[in-house]
Amino acid sequence: MNKFPPMMRRRSFLLGMGAAAAGLSIGPKGAFAMEDPTINFYNWDTYIGETTLEDFESLTGISVKLDLFADNDELFAKLKGGNPGYDLIVPTNDYTERMVEAGMLQKLDHGMIPNMANIDQAFLDPLHDPGRQYSMPYMWGTIGIGYRKSAVDGVPDSWKWLYDSDKYSGKVALLADGQTIIQMGLKYMGEALNESDPAKIKMVEEMVIRQKPHIKAFADDNGQDLLAAGDVDLAMEWNGDILQLMDEDDDIGYAVPKEGGLLWEDSLCIPAGAPHPMNAHKLINYILDAEAGALIADYIQYATPNAAAKALMDSSYTGNPGIFPPPEVIEKLEVSVYKGEEYQRLIDEALTRIQAA
Amino acid sequence: MLGVPPGIWLTVFFIIPLSLIWLFSFGDKQGLVDIELTWTMANYARAMDPLYLQIFLKSFWFAGITTLVCLLVAFPIAIAITFSPARIRPILLLLVILPFWTNLLIRTYALIAVLRTKGYVNFGLEYLWDGLNATLMFFGMDPSGLIGERFTPAPLLYNNFAVVFGLVYVHLPFMVLPLYASLDRMDRSYLEASLDLGATQFRTFLSITVPLAMPGIISGVIITFIPALGSFLTPDLLGGTDSQMIANVIERQFKSANDWPFGSALSFILMYITFFVLAARALFSRQGSAMEAS
Amino acid sequence: MRYSLIKRTQFGPLDYIHQGWMKLTLGLSFVFLYAPLLILVIFSFNDSRRNIVWRGFTTKYYEKAWNNDGLIEAFANSLTIAFFSTIVSTILGAMVALLLWRFRFPLKGAYEGAMTLPIVIPEICMGVAMMAFFSRVGWPSGLVWPFNLSAITIAHISFSFPFVAVIVRARLANFNLELEEAAKDLGASEWQFFRDIMIPFMKPGLIAGALLAFTLSLDDFVITFFTSGPDTVTLPVKIYSMVRFSVTPEINAASTVLIAITLLLTTIALWLQNRTGQKLGH
Repeated sequence: MNKFPPMMRRRSFLLGMGAAAAGLSIGPKGAFAMEDPTINFYNWDTYIGETTLEDFESLTGISVKLDLFADNDELFAKLKGGNPGYDLIVPTNDYTERMVEAGMLQKLDHGMIPNMANIDQAFLDPLHDPGRQYSMPYMWGTIGIGYRKSAVDGVPDSWKWLYDSDKYSGKVALLADGQTIIQMGLKYMGEALNESDPAKIKMVEEMVIRQKPHIKAFADDNGQDLLAAGDVDLAMEWNGDILQLMDEDDDIGYAVPKEGGLLWEDSLCIPAGAPHPMNAHKLINYILDAEAGALIADYIQYATPNAAAKALMDSSYTGNPGIFPPPEVIEKLEVSVYKGEEYQRLIDEALTRIQAA
Repeated sequence: MLGVPPGIWLTVFFIIPLSLIWLFSFGDKQGLVDIELTWTMANYARAMDPLYLQIFLKSFWFAGITTLVCLLVAFPIAIAITFSPARIRPILLLLVILPFWTNLLIRTYALIAVLRTKGYVNFGLEYLWDGLNATLMFFGMDPSGLIGERFTPAPLLYNNFAVVFGLVYVHLPFMVLPLYASLDRMDRSYLEASLDLGATQFRTFLSITVPLAMPGIISGVIITFIPALGSFLTPDLLGGTDSQMIANVIERQFKSANDWPFGSALSFILMYITFFVLAARALFSRQGSAMEAS
Repeated sequence: MRYSLIKRTQFGPLDYIHQGWMKLTLGLSFVFLYAPLLILVIFSFNDSRRNIVWRGFTTKYYEKAWNNDGLIEAFANSLTIAFFSTIVSTILGAMVALLLWRFRFPLKGAYEGAMTLPIVIPEICMGVAMMAFFSRVGWPSGLVWPFNLSAITIAHISFSFPFVAVIVRARLANFNLELEEAAKDLGASEWQFFRDIMIPFMKPGLIAGALLAFTLSLDDFVITFFTSGPDTVTLPVKIYSMVRFSVTPEINAASTVLIAITLLLTTIALWLQNRTGQKLGH
């Protein structure tokens, strides 16, 4: 997987520290003896520390069964027909909101998550889950433009190059997700990210249709592969995906456009009907532990909302603008909120028309 | 008696689940999760929008081309297998099927590695181009006017060509297997007779082999065309910005759009259309056999 | 094969395999089928997280795939499901084919139509139907192996056996009905006729159908995705969640091992078949 040479040396040190500290915070073993010592964790791929789950198992005796989902829609569709047995899931903020609305999540018992104290104050009362009743923050990040430095003039820090220009004709990939396409287009046009006025969504739709001859593909979360293979020179992507590629290829850069973009947060939630909610609380608490959290952040290179974990990391992580954008960039970013089912339909029809045009 | 176990199986584990979806298609979405059965026709009315009809047409076009190409490619393969020595016949048959025991997604990604801008087909083309370029130079000709200044990689991915190519790659054994099954049992004395009477190989093929293989051709066409019509992974992964097929739209209704009633309605329209085609085929072949009998 | 007996030295007009164009077609088809797989195998030894540039030889991804318990478990699940699904679908499919070929009965058209439904239906729709069905009837989950796989196996049988029926029926269409009359004239009972004449005649169709059923089951992603839970992840579902972000050599390594195993097993099967064939006397 990823190689981060300067940090490799620190990893074993952190591991020892983490195990010791987490042992203290998790409490006496066997306090919840009525549950089987297992937990079904439904997560994104490559989105947990290299040894996190093993460490948790050796600490608590609870074995973690990891299952992977590819996108939020899949997660939602899978749980919609009834929870098939998952204990811990990691939806993105607007889906957390949607799932709360649908009654698909259960309330968290903050008393069982003492490590909540490690979380940065700024994350404790978000729009999508006031008071953190249903979710704990896991990682956060941005959507921006990944680009091949040698093929692009300067830093392409505007959505213009993706949405409204023939300069890089045939060398551009957008994400295939309808909501993301529309929301970034709205930002380019100077509108609010969460704008749900059909007329304005229509404007973006028409712009994308005009731009279509210059777009190579709508990539299914694999824009970084298209970029790496030289099929495109500019790709709309999640920051973490591009950062992992930058680690292998010096010719790749990442920029958050000056018009602003999306600020997202993935949260740890327990779905309704989870067979092992106690164990799920324990795992959430373990993930929010300072050292365990630092190991995860070190490995997956996403921004952690865990202030105590961040304090343990060195400057190659905390000072990386691709992971932690500077304040002036963050100011322009917006969080996507759940806007009801009517909006979903608007977006879907817009995407269908864009692709059919 | 023979028909009872499959009948029961189909009813319990297929018709009943499907009826649920059929009911959904007349339902009304209530909030996020619930569907209320109101017998509304709104979902079907929405599907009649020219937008969706156009996508239906496009899907038929893709599936049709795919089936045709599969038939043209599979026929020689099936004939070669049929007429090869009995010893190597199972080996050839297995060679055709073996790639399909590798997961569809892995095969599709492998195909991407071959077709991409810096993939192996383009490397091969570039090599040929360089050779041609050098040859022209050798004869004192200016290659830039004839074949261009520089090699431009062929755009083999992320367009409609890639979708058809991928669909053919995925569905080929669906065509080879039934063709082989019917050719294998063909009475060869007909072929020998035809050739002995002076017909050319081609004529024999058209007037003897093809008619005798007709049941296999029809099965092959059906089991290739229909899954091709409902594909969504291939256009998703290989297609460009306008390669959307109807199953992509249906998939989105069950996932991101979260509109199961509309997705169900679209699925059933797709089924009705396919049924109509099958029924027309059945009617056609019945007339054909009636004519033969008289 | 009479030709090869009569004209030992030269090829008969029906020995298409010995003709240049036929060899060429066959060769090109196999290049088409195998080139992507060859590249997959090569890149399983690539020392890079991605499948794009060659960065040196390594076998570490084999180790990694081997140590990936989830992947191994998913593979075992897939094989188990494919095994049971193939057996049941072949039997059910053959029954349907025989019934439709041999008998006339009321509502035959409707029966036949219903049998083609699983072929006609978009996969995603069937997946959702199965998910809705199993959750409505409260199908037990979390049973012991292999019963925890029952829901997926049932779904696979439902979409596989109509394919088997189509293939076996195509085979039966070529049956010479006089054979039956001859057998009956010679005093064969219905069962004897079935066992000694029909089954051997159907055999190539049954084999082709079983192969297709096995392939369909092993390869199915969409329907399985909707019916699988945390304990019942199959290989395609596992792979899908892994490749969506990037195809790593780990997946290529796992696929290469799969290809190798399949090759080995089929070679053994062919060898055994040849041996028994020879024993029976040729």
